[in-house]
Amino acid sequence: MALTISCPNCGKRNGYEFRYGGEDKGPRPAEEGLTPQSWCDYVHMNNCVAGIQKEWWCHKNGCGAWFTIFRNTLTNLEVEEPEAKL
Amino acid sequence: MNRLTKLPTLRIDPSENRSLQYKGQTYQGVAGDTVATALYANGVRVFARSLKYHRPRGLYSLDGECSNTCMQVDDIPNVRTENTLLKNGMQVKDQNVKGSAEFDWMGFMDKLDCLMPAGFYYRTMHKPASLWPIAMKQVRNAAGLGKIAPDFRMKGDYTEIYPRAAVCVIGGGAAGMTAALAAAESGLRVVLLDARPWLGGCFDYRVSAYDQEKALYQRARELAKAVEATPNIRVFKHTAVVGVYNNNLITAFQVGGESDSFNERYLEIRATSVVVATGCIERPLLFENNERPGIMQVGCAHRLARTYGLLPGNQAVFSIGHDLGLEAAADLFDLGLQIACVADIRADGQDPQLLLALTKRNIPFLRGWVACEAHGSRQVEKVTLSTIDGSAKRQFGCDLLVASAGLTPITGPLTLAQAKLKYDMHTGYFLPVDLPAKTHIAGRLTGLQHALAIEASGRLAGLNAAADCGFDTAKSAAEAGQQLNALPGPERGTRLVSAPVKGRKSFICFDEDTTLKNIKQAIEMGFDVPELIKRFTSAGTGPGQGGIPGHNLPLLVSEYQARTGAKPIPTTVRPPLVPTFIATYAGANHDMCKRTPLHDLQKKAGGVFRRMGVWRRARYFSEDFSCREEILNVRNNVGLLDASTLGKFRIHGPDALKALQRVYVSNMAKVAEGRVKYSAMCNDDGCVIDDGVVVKLAENDYYFTTSTGRAGETVEWIRFHTRYDGWDFHLVNLTDAMGVINISGPNACKVLAKVADTDLANEAFPFSSYREFTIRKKIPVRAMRLGFVGELSYELHADASYMPALWQIIEEAGQEFGIRNFGVEAQNVLRLEKCHIILGQESEQRTNLLDLGLGFLWHRNKPDAKTVGAVALRQTEKDPGRFRLVGFKMEDPQRPPRDGSIIVDQRIRGYVCTARKSFTLNESVGLALVDAELAALGTRLEIFEDECNGKRLDARIVPMPFYDPQGERMKM
Repeated sequence: MALTISCPNCGKRNGYEFRYGGEDKGPRPAEEGLTPQSWCDYVHMNNCVAGIQKEWWCHKNGCGAWFTIFRNTLTNLEVEEPEAKL
Repeated sequence: MNRLTKLPTLRIDPSENRSLQYKGQTYQGVAGDTVATALYANGVRVFARSLKYHRPRGLYSLDGECSNTCMQVDDIPNVRTENTLLKNGMQVKDQNVKGSAEFDWMGFMDKLDCLMPAGFYYRTMHKPASLWPIAMKQVRNAAGLGKIAPDFRMKGDYTEIYPRAAVCVIGGGAAGMTAALAAAESGLRVVLLDARPWLGGCFDYRVSAYDQEKALYQRARELAKAVEATPNIRVFKHTAVVGVYNNNLITAFQVGGESDSFNERYLEIRATSVVVATGCIERPLLFENNERPGIMQVGCAHRLARTYGLLPGNQAVFSIGHDLGLEAAADLFDLGLQIACVADIRADGQDPQLLLALTKRNIPFLRGWVACEAHGSRQVEKVTLSTIDGSAKRQFGCDLLVASAGLTPITGPLTLAQAKLKYDMHTGYFLPVDLPAKTHIAGRLTGLQHALAIEASGRLAGLNAAADCGFDTAKSAAEAGQQLNALPGPERGTRLVSAPVKGRKSFICFDEDTTLKNIKQAIEMGFDVPELIKRFTSAGTGPGQGGIPGHNLPLLVSEYQARTGAKPIPTTVRPPLVPTFIATYAGANHDMCKRTPLHDLQKKAGGVFRRMGVWRRARYFSEDFSCREEILNVRNNVGLLDASTLGKFRIHGPDALKALQRVYVSNMAKVAEGRVKYSAMCNDDGCVIDDGVVVKLAENDYYFTTSTGRAGETVEWIRFHTRYDGWDFHLVNLTDAMGVINISGPNACKVLAKVADTDLANEAFPFSSYREFTIRKKIPVRAMRLGFVGELSYELHADASYMPALWQIIEEAGQEFGIRNFGVEAQNVLRLEKCHIILGQESEQRTNLLDLGLGFLWHRNKPDAKTVGAVALRQTEKDPGRFRLVGFKMEDPQRPPRDGSIIVDQRIRGYVCTARKSFTLNESVGLALVDAELAALGTRLEIFEDECNGKRLDARIVPMPFYDPQGERMKM
């Protein structure tokens, strides 16, 4: 509720206006050679990072764009850049 | 009781009467009274009985910090009567009593405290386990707060607003008002919130001098006037903050006054910067029977007189730890209260002016003394004072004991904003060590007591808040800082919590009946952290949200752990900071829905409307909900349906086809111009989420429809599944811009031919094709020949603004054929006879494309498209453990089962999706999802229906579709 998100088109807006699109897992894998397990992992499994993660959001009550942001899942705050991994 | 009606500080209007009902009698109050003060004015001293021990409880804080005065008002239990303004005709009841608040048959519970040591619940009643259900019943009977009637309905209007503010100031006292004024100087939008129904805070009721000319209350009113006159400050009074979240989101609720359109209003404020100027509440003093009616805090006694015109008693004893107590004693003496003695727990440090004032009034004053026991069974009659070390004792008769150990800041909003609190040895306060970004504090919260210093700190905070919003206030802020530094800083506070007593009847938490002894027991049992002791003894978990024990508990615990040098650690605070109605959170229930462009015409034609998803649609056109006439008219003649709720989209651009290939299971490259392609969309599990038709308007330019329920998400869906590809296409949602009329029945062509400017012959416009033409040389339409209802049928798509005209033209043209409307229910039966599915009826979340028998839509050879759902479909293709969609006929043709009934043998084997009496076939038919092994033709199904009294309904699986299996009628 308290989250604000920066839409690339509309700027910083209330989290209410957006729909969450999940972690950034990369493009759809090629169909060739996919096992049920690996497919299920791509579709349903998440890393559930405790910290900063890259994730998709849709500005559903605004311009309608899908874009990624970095969010700290511990503070529920959007952050500019992911911190360098130690 | 006589009111002091002449005081300039009053917040009541003695000339205007208000009345309430209590115990079958009418009690008179005045405008501005709270329910509690009105009862107090009528001599009520015992307001309620306590949770466990049924001890009498009375007015204590006047700000609703404990459940002492929670009562049932107008059938709402646990109303904090101290915070509830009196309205005429209120029905007030005491709660948690057998008998009345004054004479409670459960009063003997007070003597049983030795049976209820700390945590007795957890430790005793589970051995043996069978004891718990019995014990629980008894506990619930004996303890608890109010009771709610099962058929209770909350009355009133509850609304919500979302104001945006540059600066939000929490607290409308002197510091808050100064901060708001300072921030507003830059022209910023400022919101000021105060929990009381007026601005003024702790200045509001005090007559002490502010400066040479003014008293404090006059200064408060002067500031309030300036605030109200500033157009860019929006003031919310009677508004309690309940939550603070990150990015400075503040939630609060406002109680409506007599002239407001709402009873309560939920506020959600997004501010750039926040100033917390919530001030202080009093820290209760612990001694034996410290919550007897007649014992109250300094502010409560003082405000009863100064704000409500009620002298709180006749003969008083004061046991206080702060200068405000001395000030109140002198002032109340002047208003007519007799004071037997003022005991101050401090050995020194009092304001000499105030001591002089007491001496002048011949009020006996004891330094380093404290109340150690109150006597009297229902009300205080006598009090024993002792020295702090307990070495000497004296008794005084009194009917009022004003008791307070000191002050404690209201830090709830700060801790919710993730500020870390640390115990400050000088002030004795828990103060924030590092404030969250763009959050400032001001006023008494910081330990300041001097009036000018309070205001200076407010001004500084307001200027800093303006700086957060991008204004250069550095110079004036530096000046304000200097001014503040020149004034007296935070004053020394007290640490004492408890008089020298054993603490068997010294209550640290009134709401939960937790005594000093209980805390000692918990510590002896090994609990060493206030947070855990709070859980174990439940101190601070009641409706007062820790207002009473919040500060004392950590102090007490650290006192016991003095040898280990443990610092007091405050317990966690969570929203809501004050009790709030769920009705307030829920807000108003606006039924917002969409209407089709033909809504009014349908209404005029006798449509019976139902809510379907976001729409209101005409479901029936007569009171015969079987829709017999509507159905037969479509089958034998021609009918007209408003299908405007269909999702309608255009997708165009260089990569439009690629996008369609991604989301549709079919090969969309095969969609030919002038033809209509039926296809479906799946999710990544292969489950069907949408079906509809696609037509090609031009190269990489398509027009497609979705089911009504999917229209809202379609653009998002397609964009989501192409988000990594960087494809170039535009998606336009035309759902509301266009309407759809479906004209169906054997005479459909004849009707349309009269008005359409095109050749409708079967060869020119065959089944499953798409044409664009005009109606009456004027209205451009996109027409599709489809057969959802199984008859010759045209779907006309046109701009929404043309829809009423188009409808009337067709209706007029069809008059000679007896054209008539049909509604959504008739369409449902018609398509059921034809076994055309409706997603959401013949499918649920787990139903995939193959289960529905729509596998023929799936084009397997487009791996490059990475079609959504294709992988999962391939993986589940040979899974035998899935449901299959089957058609069935009932053995009793007159008796269709209800939708959703289950299909059983020894266990549940599936369920009925849709079933209806078919007038066309004179049978009862339906579609069901059943285990694949039951899906063979001819299988007998047993259907179990609610309240079927054990008699199962019999059906048999038959080929689909039921009506016109060759599909000749759609193509004629």
